[in-house]
Amino acid sequence: MKLVRDVLDKKLTDREHCEMGRVSGLIMHAGERSQPRITHILVGGDALWMRIHPWVAALARRLAKMWGPKRDDPVRIPWSRVETVGKDVRLDVKARETGALDWEIWIAKHVIERIPGGGKEEEE
Amino acid sequence: MKKILQLALGIITSVGGFLEIGSVVTAAQAGANYGYKLLWAILLGTICLIFLVEMSGRLSAVSKHTIVDATRERFGFPFFSIVMLGIVAVAFLVLVAELGGIGLSLQILSGIGFRWWAIPVSIAVWLLMWKGTFGLIENGASLLGLVTISFAVAAVKMHPDWGSAAHGLLPTMPGDGKAKYGFMAVSILGASISPYLMYFYSSGAIEDKWDESYIPMNRIIAGFGMTFGGFLSMAVLVAAALALQPRGIDVEKFEQAALLMTPALTHWGFYLFAFSMLFACLGAALEISLAIAYFFAQGLGWSWSEDLDPSRDARFAFAYTIIILLGAIPLLFGIDPIKVTVMSMALTSATLPLAIVPFLFLMNDPIYLGKHRNGWLSNSVVAIVILISFVLAIISIPLEIIGG
Repeated sequence: MKLVRDVLDKKLTDREHCEMGRVSGLIMHAGERSQPRITHILVGGDALWMRIHPWVAALARRLAKMWGPKRDDPVRIPWSRVETVGKDVRLDVKARETGALDWEIWIAKHVIERIPGGGKEEEE
Repeated sequence: MKKILQLALGIITSVGGFLEIGSVVTAAQAGANYGYKLLWAILLGTICLIFLVEMSGRLSAVSKHTIVDATRERFGFPFFSIVMLGIVAVAFLVLVAELGGIGLSLQILSGIGFRWWAIPVSIAVWLLMWKGTFGLIENGASLLGLVTISFAVAAVKMHPDWGSAAHGLLPTMPGDGKAKYGFMAVSILGASISPYLMYFYSSGAIEDKWDESYIPMNRIIAGFGMTFGGFLSMAVLVAAALALQPRGIDVEKFEQAALLMTPALTHWGFYLFAFSMLFACLGAALEISLAIAYFFAQGLGWSWSEDLDPSRDARFAFAYTIIILLGAIPLLFGIDPIKVTVMSMALTSATLPLAIVPFLFLMNDPIYLGKHRNGWLSNSVVAIVILISFVLAIISIPLEIIGG
């Protein structure tokens, strides 16, 4: 597997095929004696903007402090939860529980549901 | 049987949805200023569009990925963000032009200025997106858009000189006013090869759950739909050459373009023009708003579908809500929709490489298309037309701005 070609930027889906963002970064652990290995997938936020420029990431952080769901640490998903890597990266997780959908849920609750006809964001 | 119906509907909606403010205004200006001389630009643009639309459908049908999905995955986020910034900025200008086109149509029908229509129009467009389904947007607005066939009726009724029209299909250079002529050719090319249509079409193929069995149908829809649509653009140019050029009417205002069908169809021509533009711009405004929202949603991995309840794809619904409302603001301040149209069409031409070059790489990538990769013909046609448009654009846009 080629990490950049096959994993980075691929769409993530959970065990119910729910879309939960794209792979915005990977965390690698390099031990002194062991081979380097991928430990986590990063989703959205900081890791993504850092790839453009640290300034963009700083701006995004500042904006997110003023508006949106509050979350201190980035969303990371252990590599052990990866089920398949194909056209998409399929994970053995429930999307809502990972934090990857925080923004989706926040916008649904704070904006969309308040507009008539917006429907109800699913609570499971 | 179902596929034959889908095929017929696909062709009909491609025709009904083909014209929008960009193609009408640029073709009308070209006809009014240069007679049949710029028909070649529509021909060139339409040929390129046929190939691009066919490719967009094929990519989605084979790979189950939209163009945006594939661009992000194949080129990574930093490059993707540059493409997104450029495409979305230009598409937003086009959206302003289309909303303005609806407002101008209502203005000539009601006598109430287009600025007053900015908010009601954007709310109406938003409401159709909020409550409507993909089928409604894809088919409903385009079926209403079939009224634009009246341009062809008007052109034929004015008995054009077919010989000189055929001459116009070959590029020629005018004696003077080369810069304006070049700028007009660029605007026509930008209006014909609208990248938002590719994003809309490739997302539509996913919304409609196309698979490889749709490849032949996709080819026929792209071929026939865009060809007939191109004929309609040419009809606008021919009608303008016959109705406006002899009277020395230059299309700087919408009301002037509205006289395009009156010699052939008298006062009916005026109303047919107004309703043609109303429905054509409405269809285009819906498609562009969706295309921009698709761009964000697919690029950033949000869930998206026009068929879901807004709260089930909240970020997608939020994106089009904001875009449509923002689109009304320049119109509220009285910005001239015709100027926005012409400039946005020329800028579309200038930014075509940004949209098309990565797309051509994808269309040749075996990971996405396997044996359905592009052949040399489609690669060459698209590459050549894009190169011509880009070169013309970078020469003529600065000249047009300097020349005022």
